[in-house]
Amino acid sequence: MEENEHSIIRAVLSGNKEAYGALVVRHSHAIFRVAFRITGDEADAEDVVQEAFLIGYQKLQSFESRAKFSTWIYRIAVNCALNMKNKRKPEAAYEIADDADASQHRTQVADTAPNPERLLLSREIEALHAGAMQKLTATERTAFVLRHMEACTTDEIAATLRIAPNAAKQAVFRAVQKLRRDLAPLKVNA
Amino acid sequence: MNHLTEEQLIVHYYEESPQPARIAHHLRECNGCAETYAELRSELDAIEPIAAPARDAGHGEQVWRSIRNLVPIYQLKQQRLSQRFSSLKGLSFATACSLFIAVAFLAGRQWENYQRPPQNQAVADNPTRQAIVLVVLGDHLGRSERFLVALRHGDAGESTALVKAEAQDLLSANRLYRESAIKSGDPAFAAALDRLEHVLVEVANEPDDASPARLAELQKELNTDGLLFEVRVLRSHVQDEQGEQQPAAVRTLGVLI
Repeated sequence: MEENEHSIIRAVLSGNKEAYGALVVRHSHAIFRVAFRITGDEADAEDVVQEAFLIGYQKLQSFESRAKFSTWIYRIAVNCALNMKNKRKPEAAYEIADDADASQHRTQVADTAPNPERLLLSREIEALHAGAMQKLTATERTAFVLRHMEACTTDEIAATLRIAPNAAKQAVFRAVQKLRRDLAPLKVNA
Repeated sequence: MNHLTEEQLIVHYYEESPQPARIAHHLRECNGCAETYAELRSELDAIEPIAAPARDAGHGEQVWRSIRNLVPIYQLKQQRLSQRFSSLKGLSFATACSLFIAVAFLAGRQWENYQRPPQNQAVADNPTRQAIVLVVLGDHLGRSERFLVALRHGDAGESTALVKAEAQDLLSANRLYRESAIKSGDPAFAAALDRLEHVLVEVANEPDDASPARLAELQKELNTDGLLFEVRVLRSHVQDEQGEQQPAAVRTLGVLI
């Protein structure tokens, strides 16, 4: 796969522009997934995908043959998403989380059947999660998404965001602290 | 016994603790920390990965169609030009100063040519300026000669990186001299500098980890022995002119002065 990708890149750099399409097709889903997780917005995520592959094409000459294209384009995409997130203000759509009363969300759910009440609760929990995520700074959210959802190591996060490993660790730490605080209403009564 | 901090517990949860066995042992021994950790784990486990909206199978094609008209076609020529440009950044301070002096005098000379009728040129030429240009040109040819000799003996100890760096360094200066020679109407000198530039480009574009043997192979492919001889002849002409230092001289080996 890697060797194949390197030969595609060589073809692109030799003048076969269309060959790049194969790389876009191969990685677009993964890039969209991480872009959406960071931006939290479908349209923004689509913009990030396009921007990432555009930058990837423009910088293809600087791509080192020892690296994996998937890792390289992934890092470009994460930074595009982070920039996008920095430009955007927190979404008003998630303000529902601020209205939630802690006592109303303290409950125990044993029944797993998707009855209307449970579906409603599930949506509220989802909204609370989304709201808590939106309250994080762009870097905290990105670091947390990479750590918690993309299973990246601290070193990988640091390399992707071009920050020191300790700064990456602290960003994850702050994100977890804030999320725990904001999701406290969901705690199940003992 | 010190309790574990929240940070240590978070790091342990993500399996990046530098001492996982010690943390695990502590959690077995300390009920307080075990409870805190269980709570943390439960809360973090509850945060499920954000599910991205589904994309259809043609998503990648759509993305490619949206950007394909925005990207240019790569060409090998483009690569070389960009590498030539990037080699400007690698110019040493000394080379940059030499180039600055040469370009300044060339520009000054061109301006004088523009302002004065041709018949007055010989009278107006300044021998001091001419001498400086000759020194700079002689230095360039001397360095080029040493570079070609180093390339010739590339498998005999000379560092590949040094040879490559020297090629990058010489490239921009050589280009200026070549263009100047073309403008002055000296095709022979321009052709020699063009052949030298070809060798410089090839060596400068070699990968960083190219072996000395590869350089030696390149030297054979490019047949630089003939070029070395040409450069030596040119340099001897420059030295001759330096020795003569006649105020009436108008042009030197195709380089306008």
